[in-house]
Amino acid sequence: METGTPGGGTTRRELVVTFTRELIAAYAEASGDRNPIHLDEEAARAAGLPGVIAHGMLQMGLLARVAGDPARLRRLSCRFAEAVRPGDTVTFRGEEEDGRVELTAVNQEGRPVVTRARAELVPPSASAGG
Amino acid sequence: MPAPARRAAGSVPLVGVAGRVYEPVTFLVEAGHVAAFARALGVDPGQGVPPTYAAVYALGTTVPQLFSDPEAAVDVAHLLHAEQEFSWERHPRLGETLVAQGRVAGDVERRGVRLLTFETEVRAGAERLCTSRALFVVRAPGR
Repeated sequence: METGTPGGGTTRRELVVTFTRELIAAYAEASGDRNPIHLDEEAARAAGLPGVIAHGMLQMGLLARVAGDPARLRRLSCRFAEAVRPGDTVTFRGEEEDGRVELTAVNQEGRPVVTRARAELVPPSASAGG
Repeated sequence: MPAPARRAAGSVPLVGVAGRVYEPVTFLVEAGHVAAFARALGVDPGQGVPPTYAAVYALGTTVPQLFSDPEAAVDVAHLLHAEQEFSWERHPRLGETLVAQGRVAGDVERRGVRLLTFETEVRAGAERLCTSRALFVVRAPGR
């Protein structure tokens, strides 16, 4: 579910994702980050976590989807505030104005899973050749 | 071999392995691998290299050097990725060869928690493509 709503110089995008073990395992495989805290319940608990958690970089990859045209993206940053676990549903939102994008990601309990999330985009013409 | 941790005279003392620079790592942006990564994020692989493929070409290349450095002694079992920032001059192209180099920008302990700031610069030839700044938090066992 990715929607763009242009209006008043502000573009809004939203993406809702329910995290599953399969999604996390597929990201581990594709990214090469096979840290057992993402894949193995016992290893995750031994590390002091309630169970397996999603990669921060998986959250950031989904956040980038609501940041705008990937070819224009020049900066992306966030703080991973709360672990995302299988079964969690996270709503990612981006609000773009003049190339600056404020990003949020909130779980089903209304708690932010990332904070201080921002992106910067260059104007469409400047991304050519990039 | 990574440079040993050093203490710069007259400036803030460097602790842990702050200042340590690792050997550059070469990485080929391979189309099939990029497509698999894009699909894992639910992105159309035809759109080119997803920006956060930097997790692979910037972090995946250099972070293992830090984690496997016996002198850095990173307790990976109690480590969390706390913050991440990427900046790009441009995104890599399929088939391009990149060179990534990692550096420990900060290594401090606060209330029993180790804060490791790791920076990676990625180039294609002489051209700078991407800079990554990761903050890793390592909790002492039992906390």
